[in-house]
Amino acid sequence: MLLFGMGPLVGVSFISAVRTYAEVSGLNGTAAGVGEALSPLAGVWAPTFSACELAAVFLLPFVAIRLVAGDRQSGALKLELQQGMSSFARITAKTLVLLAGWLVAMLPSFSAILLWKSYGGSVYTPELVTLTGGHVLNAGLTIGLAAAMSSLTEHPSTAAILTLSITVGTWIVNFFGAVQGGWWERAAGYTPAAMVAEFQHGLVRLDTVLIALVLIMTGLGVAALWMRLGVAVHRRVYESIGIGVLAAGSIFACTFLTASWDTSESRSNSFSEADERALRQIHTPLRIEAHLAPEDPRRLDLEHHALSKLRRVMPKLQVQYVSATSIGLFEQTSAGYGEIWYDLAGRRTMSRVTTAEGVLETIYSLAGVAPPPEVEDAIFRGHPLAVASKGAGTIFYGVWPGLILVSAILARRSFR
Amino acid sequence: MLFEVNGLSKRFGQIAALADVSFQVRAGEVLGLIGPNGAGKSTLFECLAGVLPSDSGTMRAGGRTIGARQRPSLLFYVPDDIAPWAAQSVRWVLDFTIGFLRGRAALREEVIAQLDLHPLLQQSIGTLSKGQRKRVLLGIGLLTSQPALLIDEPFEGLDLRQARDIAAALRAHAVRGRTLFLSIHQISDAARFCDRFVLLSSGRVCGEGTIQELAALAVAHSGSRPSADLEEVFLALT
Repeated sequence: MLLFGMGPLVGVSFISAVRTYAEVSGLNGTAAGVGEALSPLAGVWAPTFSACELAAVFLLPFVAIRLVAGDRQSGALKLELQQGMSSFARITAKTLVLLAGWLVAMLPSFSAILLWKSYGGSVYTPELVTLTGGHVLNAGLTIGLAAAMSSLTEHPSTAAILTLSITVGTWIVNFFGAVQGGWWERAAGYTPAAMVAEFQHGLVRLDTVLIALVLIMTGLGVAALWMRLGVAVHRRVYESIGIGVLAAGSIFACTFLTASWDTSESRSNSFSEADERALRQIHTPLRIEAHLAPEDPRRLDLEHHALSKLRRVMPKLQVQYVSATSIGLFEQTSAGYGEIWYDLAGRRTMSRVTTAEGVLETIYSLAGVAPPPEVEDAIFRGHPLAVASKGAGTIFYGVWPGLILVSAILARRSFR
Repeated sequence: MLFEVNGLSKRFGQIAALADVSFQVRAGEVLGLIGPNGAGKSTLFECLAGVLPSDSGTMRAGGRTIGARQRPSLLFYVPDDIAPWAAQSVRWVLDFTIGFLRGRAALREEVIAQLDLHPLLQQSIGTLSKGQRKRVLLGIGLLTSQPALLIDEPFEGLDLRQARDIAAALRAHAVRGRTLFLSIHQISDAARFCDRFVLLSSGRVCGEGTIQELAALAVAHSGSRPSADLEEVFLALT
């Protein structure tokens, strides 16, 4: 069902994305202001691959639960456990099978790339590799979680309820992060949705990738521990606590890693190379105190367009947000609200500008560094393409489901 | 002696499912584990097979303790009333047993014939009746290569003719040296088929031996008249 549904899911996303892309391209999209919007990564691939995100949340968990909990439910596990194979090897084998299945499920998304290329669209491989890697990691997280829940619970339906509850829980963390800021915001940065969003922008952060891997290993480890039906429950509990502590420690350590790579063609996660060179000349730690509430649009502007890029170039950057409320609406008249204070080795200055250009100007002026001249060639102009998604409907709504149906029938016959 | 069990105990909360269970299993014998429903027969088998943790007790073979990791090389347990790999065909399950569970490929055709599995080979496990499924489970067990085979209720769900055929098939494997340890709640079935018996009641072993040995034990235990009827002996000892 997962494989069957992926074609139409990808088809809807791809056809709609190509239509929107074509509409924007028709509106003189080559102007510098909208160039970023005409990056295929943001305009076509992020929405097309979002079908994978949807499937990873609502379809893949049930496939994983069926594969892991089904054995326990049917009694097959009691037979398999007597084979002598370690439960860690068993869960690894099942995970590899699931991941292989997931790669097959991603084939419609890959075929969308070929279609796009046939339309004359531009393809930038590094950002597509990043996006694919992000969705494979996300699938790994789902598999790890579903496997752990399947092993911990007696019944597959309980495992499904718990898996979806935890997924919904991560959405709540995202919501609180957006409203409350602070630690909630920090935690929200490591949820699967936030991780996928980074990959959708072509950003690879070492801490995010490692934390995702730790979480996957933890889920699979817990699954393997609880698959050992012959081991006393109290021992399994102690071992699970041990794995949990180890995972928590590893995750905490990973949060200190700052390495990241911007693989997007549009450099949407980075300042221009000239600006980055100039910023790297500043070795003194920079401290920024922004008096903006979590839901204030200016704070989102500041964070997404300036500070997230700045953190990548200046790892020692310290940012502190100060606000008395979450929306900031009733703080507007308060003295100091909206102010952004920059502190560089005791030299302080204040600005209210939240654009990337404004932030850079303030930092250069505070550090006494000459702003680099703007290089016209370095500006990403986008790849406008006003075409119809010819043949996509036939492939995604007809050929793909048909192929899956025929393959399922053939596979069923060959197994007998 | 193939192996011996000493002081095996298992509790589920306040309920003692097994209490200080001890007995011996001899190589090549057909040993019957006799007891009413709820006596702890399945629990005992699961603890022996290492698919359920016991609270205490040991298993010894060849003078050394056999841990949970060594048990797969000594014995294989076939649970009652399971439907493993329900979507797969009987043929697939038998081949999987040979491949994954390291079963004996040389016995494949013989086991299929003995258990009359030919007509079922194409059918998926999920569509089989209880009796058909039982035959497939027995097929899985007979294909495995461990010296001892533990089968929970081997005749459950089978009609009289099937039960007799399967008893003959099991006996044929026992004659070749395979040790069979069968949990049977129908005492009359057990009396016909097994060489020796372990009587289990409320998680405790009430007696172990041949019918004659158990009858003598019953006389000593309750002072009743000697009887060769296993049911009478069981009632006298429990």
